[in-house]
Amino acid sequence: MRQENMRRIISVASLVIIMLIFGLTSDSFFTADNILNILRDCAVYGIIAIGVTFVIITAGIDLSTGAIVGVTGMLCANLLYYYNLSAGLIVLISILTGTICGMLNGFIVVKLRVPEFIATLSTQYLFRSMVFVFTIREMGVITNKRIENPAILLLGGRINGIYLVTMAFVLLAVIGQIILKKTKFGTYIYAAGANRKSAELSGINTDKVRWAAFIITGFLCGIAALFQIGRVGSVTTDLGNGWEFDVIAAVVIGGCAFSGGRGDVFGSTVGAIFMAVLQNGILKYNLPTAAQLVVKGIVIVLMIVFDAVYNNMMQKRIQQKAREEDAAEMAGGEA
Amino acid sequence: MSALLEMKGIVKRFNDTAVLRKVDFSVEAGEVHALMGENGAGKSTLIKILTGIYPKDGGEIFWNGQKVEINNRNDAFRLGISVIYQELSLIPTLTVMQNVMLGREETRAGIINAKTMRKRVKDLISKYGFGIKPDATVETLTIAQRQTVEILKALSEESKMIIMDEPTASLSTKESDALFKIVEQLRDDGVSVIYISHRLEEVYRLSDRLTVLRDGVREAVLTKEQIIPADVVRLMIGKELSESTASQNLRKSDAPVRLKVENLTRKGIFKNISFEVHEGEIIGVAGLVGAGRTEVMRCIYGADPYDSGKIEFEGEALPRRIVANIKKGFGFVPEDRRNQGFTPLLSIEKNVALTNYDTLASGGIVKAKKERKLGNEMVERLNIKPNNSQIPVGNLSGGNQQKAVLAKWLSRDLKILIIDEPTAGIDIGAKDEIYRILEELAANGTSVIMVSSDLQELLRVSQRIIVMRKGEIFTEFSDGRVTQEDILMAESGILTKEGQEHE
Repeated sequence: MRQENMRRIISVASLVIIMLIFGLTSDSFFTADNILNILRDCAVYGIIAIGVTFVIITAGIDLSTGAIVGVTGMLCANLLYYYNLSAGLIVLISILTGTICGMLNGFIVVKLRVPEFIATLSTQYLFRSMVFVFTIREMGVITNKRIENPAILLLGGRINGIYLVTMAFVLLAVIGQIILKKTKFGTYIYAAGANRKSAELSGINTDKVRWAAFIITGFLCGIAALFQIGRVGSVTTDLGNGWEFDVIAAVVIGGCAFSGGRGDVFGSTVGAIFMAVLQNGILKYNLPTAAQLVVKGIVIVLMIVFDAVYNNMMQKRIQQKAREEDAAEMAGGEA
Repeated sequence: MSALLEMKGIVKRFNDTAVLRKVDFSVEAGEVHALMGENGAGKSTLIKILTGIYPKDGGEIFWNGQKVEINNRNDAFRLGISVIYQELSLIPTLTVMQNVMLGREETRAGIINAKTMRKRVKDLISKYGFGIKPDATVETLTIAQRQTVEILKALSEESKMIIMDEPTASLSTKESDALFKIVEQLRDDGVSVIYISHRLEEVYRLSDRLTVLRDGVREAVLTKEQIIPADVVRLMIGKELSESTASQNLRKSDAPVRLKVENLTRKGIFKNISFEVHEGEIIGVAGLVGAGRTEVMRCIYGADPYDSGKIEFEGEALPRRIVANIKKGFGFVPEDRRNQGFTPLLSIEKNVALTNYDTLASGGIVKAKKERKLGNEMVERLNIKPNNSQIPVGNLSGGNQQKAVLAKWLSRDLKILIIDEPTAGIDIGAKDEIYRILEELAANGTSVIMVSSDLQELLRVSQRIIVMRKGEIFTEFSDGRVTQEDILMAESGILTKEGQEHE
């Protein structure tokens, strides 16, 4: 069996297992409402995770996604409050802002040759600072104003019980998976991550590919921000704070490797659902907050450790197999 | 037949050293042309000029009779020249098909047309009878299979010339045989193959013509009928060498045995390795790239595991931990100096200290004065230049870097030093100094195991020489006179086990 398929089965299996654990120990887990809630909760992170999947497959990382959501959301709130722009314009501006942030990340990484980790760590500070530039103030005091625009608020709503954000997530994930697996660009994403030099020798402009991955991530952050403000109906300065780590955790649980070249959007979707199930299920136990966080932390550490151990094991097995074949042929060839 | 490729009067200099001195080289369409020469003869430089990696300092290149300029890899690629790299250049997590078609995917409405691509790759695979599946992930393939994927890639690009650089270095006998068939098939299809190898038997079997380079000069071009292995060896080595470096009287040591290796085997890498090293003895380990020399040394030192066999040090089983072995008096100078030998950003003093903190520190606190003193001592003793232990080792010349690596170990009470390619990339003056250091070390009772591909070096320094071939010890020269030709014939496969030449 291909390693990819094996890894896929394992991540789906661990999702099923934690769902069973929560389902069997709590009456309120397997209810239609709760499942729909989980599918809503995973969607915002999931949309961002699609982009981060691209970045991590190119062997990169993006630490600025939460801050991009923050600055985009705050800018929208600001424009809605002070200028009462139409929903259409807001959607456009939001997506554009996210995309520009992604372009900046890509520019710093690809053109200025700054390592991804440092580059996006620094832009995170920049984007976070911009949040405060756009904050709504009254008499100099930061004020949290409700968003009144009905069309924007509609983004937080649902059709036939299913949240719009869930639908958007499914649609974007399908598109993302098709791009990754069925287009040249997708193949180049893998090639750029798994063996950049060799990809370049095959005539692939890996700079362009990596830059595009950052732009896609920014674009998706813009979309995620829209759904988030539509759902909450207001924007605080800590919008998106720490999201980047939940997103990265989801992507890694889904099977992407930091070394690049591995994983896909389907896996990251499973990872995002896993994170949402975990968050949701723990709440059902009525544990104190500290205990909830501890359980969540432990499960994530276990998943990540498992992933690393599993990858090392598979790597060893592949090498072992190759060596044994060599040994067999060595013996056979000289007999 | 007209020449597909003609290189005329190619000159290449590095700094002031001429590496290629007006070399002519021509390859006809549909021939297998072997390129031979000792390390440093200029083979790789010539190939790098042909593939646009190095610019040439003089000479002309003709392709199908037309003068061409090859300024980068793309120029070479456009002419139809492909290289099967020694370090394989595939994308491990993609499939065979994706790798073969990388950069030339077929799409319909932006979506990859996997069907037609798979068919193309499948057709190529069945045409050449390669035993691989288009949808296998490359990382699950053996080295030999990966090499086939590279050849597939070249074929799908409709290359007219495929360059293979030591293609059998990491292949088993059976895999090599399969590769030879492929090479013959390529030739029959009109593809030219430039075949670089040290293995004379392969070259003898495969090539239509053979060009021998020596010291940057074309020594001879032989046709198939003219290829006589012993002559080729003589052409590679040259005749005007002084007697002292061309041959050497070997001598067995009477001193007690310090290291005894018995039937050491690591599956698929080396097997049944047995030898002894005496006190104060320098033993040379000869063999071609891929013979398993470095692997055996890493294993003895404790860096890699083994599957069966025994290693005894002074009569006791050797621990499998590097730290314990260092305490016992082991030193290890690896082949890949820059990545494994030293820490480039740290000073000479700190690099030396790294192996000496058992005496230079107490309770985790470094005794800075002692550290400085030891650093200065070693700079003095090994004549490292510049004469300043505060300089980062990365800033030194190759020879002085190697001395700094030696300093890490010579600063300890050394019982056995394993040194892999001691003078690779080092200028002649520094080479002599390093030989002197090794000889002094042995005179003071340290045993030295020296892996080397440099025949002159092996003969000059070693008291006994072990020759490895394909993961096994092929023979040992332990007494009497031995010449460069003897070693070269033994390691490159002209001699059979009985010491006879192939017919």
